[in-house]
Formats: sequence, structure tokens, C-alpha cells
Amino acid sequence: MHYDLIIIGMGLSGLMAAKTAAEASRKVLIIGKGMGCLTLFSNTIDVLGKIPETTRLRDGLSQWIQDHPEHPYSKVGLTGIEEGLSSFTSLFHPPYSFQTIGDGNCFIPTGAGTMRPAYLIPDTMVAGASGKEKKGLIVGFKGFRDFYAGYVAGLLNWRGIFLPLPETPGQEISATALSRWMEKEPFRKTIGQEIKKNLSGETCVGFPAILGMNDPIKVKMDLEEKIGVGVFEIPTLPPSIPGMRIFNRFKEWLIRRGVNFLSGYSISKASLKGKRCEGVYIHHPPVSGFYSADRFILATGRFIGGGLMADRERISDPIFNLPVSQPGSQEEWFGKSFFDEHPIHRSGILTDPSFRPIDGTGEPILENVRVAGTILSGHDSMDEKSREGIEIATGYWAAQWAVAK
Amino acid sequence: MNKQFWPKSNADVCIRCAACMAVCPVSRVTPLFPGPKQAGPGAQRFRKPGDPSVDEWIDLCIGCHLCDTVCSAGVNISELNLIAKAKYLDEKGRPLRDWLLTHSHLFSGLASFFSAITNLLLKNRAVKWMADAFLSIDRRRELPAYQSPTFRQWFRGHHSTGEKKVAYFYGCYINTNEVDIGKATVQVLEANNFEVILPPQECCGLPMLGNGDFKGARKMGLKNVPSLLQTIRSGLDIIFSSTSCGHMIKHEYSRLLAIPGAEEVAPHLFDLFEYLRNLKEAGNLNARFRELPLRAAYFAPCHLRSLGIGFPALEILRLIPGLQIDNIEADCCGLGGTFGFKKEKFEISAEIGKDLKNAIDRLSPDIILTDCEGCRMQIRHLTGLRVLHPIQILRDALS
Repeated sequence: MHYDLIIIGMGLSGLMAAKTAAEASRKVLIIGKGMGCLTLFSNTIDVLGKIPETTRLRDGLSQWIQDHPEHPYSKVGLTGIEEGLSSFTSLFHPPYSFQTIGDGNCFIPTGAGTMRPAYLIPDTMVAGASGKEKKGLIVGFKGFRDFYAGYVAGLLNWRGIFLPLPETPGQEISATALSRWMEKEPFRKTIGQEIKKNLSGETCVGFPAILGMNDPIKVKMDLEEKIGVGVFEIPTLPPSIPGMRIFNRFKEWLIRRGVNFLSGYSISKASLKGKRCEGVYIHHPPVSGFYSADRFILATGRFIGGGLMADRERISDPIFNLPVSQPGSQEEWFGKSFFDEHPIHRSGILTDPSFRPIDGTGEPILENVRVAGTILSGHDSMDEKSREGIEIATGYWAAQWAVAK
Repeated sequence: MNKQFWPKSNADVCIRCAACMAVCPVSRVTPLFPGPKQAGPGAQRFRKPGDPSVDEWIDLCIGCHLCDTVCSAGVNISELNLIAKAKYLDEKGRPLRDWLLTHSHLFSGLASFFSAITNLLLKNRAVKWMADAFLSIDRRRELPAYQSPTFRQWFRGHHSTGEKKVAYFYGCYINTNEVDIGKATVQVLEANNFEVILPPQECCGLPMLGNGDFKGARKMGLKNVPSLLQTIRSGLDIIFSSTSCGHMIKHEYSRLLAIPGAEEVAPHLFDLFEYLRNLKEAGNLNARFRELPLRAAYFAPCHLRSLGIGFPALEILRLIPGLQIDNIEADCCGLGGTFGFKKEKFEISAEIGKDLKNAIDRLSPDIILTDCEGCRMQIRHLTGLRVLHPIQILRDALS
């Protein structure tokens, strides 16, 4: 099979790249070893959480770009980031859409009982934003071990309650099962009554982020009607339901646009000729499939997604074996304590301004391959709280440049 | 049970990320199954070959492989589950019901010959009540009707012609229960200038494998592979129209069952629509389709997803003028082959199906298309709509 563009990696950057190329009417194949990491994170769209609380995001980003010329954001520029973000939000029509609170970061409660900065948040999280000033009730469920209401509430100085689940005494329940319960009106009625009885002056109610998969706004509004106060979701441990919602929306849109979607298979080998990639092999025992394309985008993420591999000495890219910018030796990989900065989290692929991978002298190594997402060097998205912003902006632009004549 | 064919476990590469927990259809509807992360790599770390199996819930894994397709670490979760299921059932013993459900190929010839009587019996309430009471085959499930003549009998009287030749593995269900799909496959291939050959074949063995019966499944593989080998060695490709049979022969025969010769067969084995897509790529597809004003919805079966070929039927169906085709956004129909027929699993199967039904209701199509017989049975059961194999619509568009 021959394509205009093959995207390797099914995380947010790969999905954004696929959307961008499909909008330009290209024949696209997206290949993922798994389904990417959208289900592993909180799925607010963090662009630059590190800037001071009261700073406007635009100002923070401008300054950041000036101060960090090697950062992926500096390659796309401020308006480039904004263009990418608006392409992302255009996919999420109301009722389930993403929005900002004011013109900077907002702060939302997490399953760890902390308040964290985020830029774009889904409508289901809005009522909890900047919740420090509010008085809320946190609701957990017996048997759902990925969310401890008391713990979250304790740290926020709120109150937490645990509700029993029907038909599952003494059993554990998964996030997807709980989210499915939430879609049933009789269940909402039961818990709604229970919660209403438990309110004592609280003006909002926080649930773990499990308010249904397909129509969370309907679930939220119905609960609000039943309880009488605002309801919001709190991101918690994986699997992330808000992450599934993002993934499913992209998948639905991409398949409708004719993008070929191949999940569950890793690239076993890339076929290179001079400075070009001709195609990739997918090994699915006992057969190997070959897929060729004019252009490629590498969006395989860092260590969790399998985009970067580390052995005892060095970090490498298993697909194209591109040079990986990394600390000089293994002793320098980690900081002294867990919450220190860890230099290993800056390792990644060096590229030119249009995301083509380059060698030490700045020369492009592969002319028809571009790199997008967190596998890029020059950022520590964990520390910067910039993961989704980087994925969206670079996925969008890598595809824009790849499809440009 | 001979365990020398079981593959090595790679449970230790699991990073516990829970992506599999996001897609498992069973743990989404019941807390009785702990989900792929626990049941697969999690429990695997505690399993020792000599110890008796304690995996009481392992039989609830429906075998959809969806967990495998989302794992970034590359753990073959469903395979770990299947091996554990085999051990559990080997030790615990299997009911007669499971033998009957997985050996229908032994009596389907007779059932088809006497289809008028068989079908009356299969629909008969008293018979269904007895099957429910004595065999635990749920009486709420429709038992598939048999057709006569069979596809094989029809083909014997059919003179296939074409400049090129291709072989067809039609599978049991098409032979005795959905003969028209076999006919449509032959007609579309002939319209593309292929003479169709039917190599000698038996049940692929998937129903047995799905029930953890490695020995029985291997026996079927050992019967099929020599005939398929002979076919491909004579220079023919083999096409399958059932994604379940196809996945079994192409991937499980060699990897899981170590059947000699299966690796040689696999590269010459193609899904019907994958084959048509390849023809299209080469500019050789007969795409002189007439207009077909229909609102159809397509459902991608789990075993199609595990074939790793994308959704080729969607690509081809989109070439038909007038046909509005939507992809149904749902994973797993819930039938799971024989799974949904079992009384103790019927509720789980029905709950999984409800999510699919809701997705179908959102599209409100005239007709549903899907490549797998299990999915077709389940969707008919859920919606009462007309459910076809996509090749039947393609045939209609060509005639």
C-alpha cells in the first residue's frame, strides 16, 4: 500500500498530524504500537503550566520562546502554537468542548488532592476550576480504588464521602464500568439523592473523571439538576476517561475522513534509501507488511510510548536510529531526589525549524521524515507542564510542513 | 494437554499503564472479570506451571484481542489469558455444552440436509428450553438456521471461469448457514476475472481455541494446512471472507499452535476486502458499480482489527455511488463466538452488545454490514435490522 503520508505514533501529536494532513486531502496511514498515551494522562490541555499564576499565557509563551530558542515552541512561534490549539479545539464541538478560564492558566483539583495548572479544560472540569476559593464536596465510590475522596478532600480542606455501588458489594470496579454506570439515569437518581442529603453548605460537587464516555455533559447536567449545585470532574489515575473521549473523537473523525487506522502493530524496520525513507515494515507474526509513502512523521513519544529506548549506556530511537540528544553519561540521567529535574527528561531528537531530524552539523538526515510530539529534544514537558501544547503544536506543524509542496 | 506449543510469556514487559483497562469490553460491564491488566500480566506473575489454576474468572475473557491492539509495551495479553483459560478448563473439565458448541462442524452437514426439520427444532421453544435447562445454552439466544443446498453443493453445480485463479476458504458458517455470502464472494471475484477454486477444508478450529481447547484446535489446523499448502504451492493466493477464520489460520496456526507449514501459508492468505483493495491499488479492480441509494453502517469485527490491515471493506464500499456508509463507533459486539450462547455469560454478552446497539441507534441506518458471522448474529439479535456481509452489497452494486 502506498500513502501520501504515514504517521508513526497514535498519541496526541500523531492524531493531530493525521487530522491536519487529512484536512489537506492527503491519503494518510496512522500506525500505533498501542493506542498512544492519551489514557495515561489527565487530559487537560497543558500549554505552559510553569509560568507564574497571574501571567497571561500569551505573555508567558512569548517570554518562554525568547528564553528557550531550542524549545519546540520556538520552532513554531506564538501564533503557530495558537493555530495548532484552535485546530484541536475545532474538533470538539459543544456540548463536550474545551475552554480556557480567563487568559491564563486555571487551577483544577487532582486525584492527588493538589491544585494543578491547566490551560484548556473540558467543560466537565470547569465548575472545579480555581476551586480553592470554593467549598466543595468530593464524592468517591466504594470499590473504585483509583480515587480516594477523603484524601483529595483532606488536602483541599473540603469534605469527602464514599458511596456504595449497587450490585457490586465487596467487588472492585473499573473506571470504564463506573463511567458506564454514570450513563444510567436510575443510578444517577440514587446517588444524586444520596449526595443531596449529604450536602452541608457546599456549593459544588467533585467526582472522579468518570462522568460517562459518550455524553458526559448530559450526565453532568442531570446530576446538577438532581443535586442542586455545580458538578465537576477531577482527573485521576489511568485509564483516563477524558483521554478516551479525546482518542475516540479523533478516531471517529479520522476514519470518516478515510484515514487508515492501524493500532496494535509496531514498525519492525524502516527502509531507507540515501536521505529518504521509502517505507516501513510492520511485523505481525508470521507475516510482514510493507507500507510505502512519500513522507513520514515520527510521533512515537518518549519512554512510555516506546519512542525512545534506553539501555545501560545510551538512549536511542528504535525506528530510524536518529541521533538522540542526551546527557553525556548514564550517571547524569537523574537528579538526586524524585522531585528534582532529571536531565534524562530533556533527551530527544534534534530537528531543524521545520522538524526534519538533523545531525551534529545541523544537516537534515532524512529529507522526507519529520518529527513531532514529546520525542523532540529541547523540552522537559513534565516540569514545564507543556505536554499537550507541545504535542498539538508540533503535530499540527510537522504535518503542515510535510504536506506543503 | 501438550503444552510444548504454548508461547513464552512476556508479562514482565507490562508497565501497568492500564491502556488495556480503557478498552476491555468485559470489565466495562461486569466487576466479575478483573480486566486484562490483572487477569493477563498481573496474574501471570503468580502462575507457576505445576500449581493448580485458581483463575476462576479467566473464562470470562471474551477473546476480542482489543487489549493487544492498545498495548504500547507489546504484551500479548489475550494470549496470556487464553493459555490460563486452557489450563483452568483442562483442570476443571469442560461441560458437554462446550463440546457441542465447538464441534458443530461435525453435524452441520446433516443439519443442513434436513434443514426444514432442523430449523423448526432450533426455533422450537421446548427444544430451546431443554437446551437451556440441560446444556446451559441460553434460551434467549436465537440458534442460527441451516440452509440447503450448502455453499459447497451450490459450487459443485457452478462453473467458475476467469483468466486468473484464486482459492477461497469459505468456512463452516458460510457453507451451511449463510450460503449467499459464499455465492457473492465467488460472483465478485469472477467479475474481477478470477476463476475460484475451493481447496479441501474443515472447520478452522477457532471455536475450540476460544474455549481453551488447544488440542482440538491443533487437530483442525493439522487437517487444513496440508491442503492449503498444496494450494499456495501451486501458485494460488487464498482468500477468506470470515475475518475470524482468517485470523485463526493466518496468525494463530503458526504462533500459538505451531502447525508445520502454517508460516508458509500465511503470506498468501488474504482477507477478501484486503485482496480487493490490493486490486484497486494495482488499478485492476472492477469498479463499474451502479448507484445504490442506501444508508448503511459498517462494524469492524475484533478479529479484523487483529489482522492489522485497517478497514479495507470501508475503503471499497466508499467507491459505490449513492451508498452512504458510516463506521459504527463501538468496540466488540459481545458475542465472542460461543461465549454469548452460554447461559452464565449471556448477560455479559448482552450488556456489551447494548453499547454497540446505542452506537447503531445514533446512526439509524437501513442496513448493517460486517465481515464476521458472530457479529452479524449478535447485531441481528440486538437490532432486528438487516445485517449483511459487505461483499453482498458489493455484489449488488456490480450486478
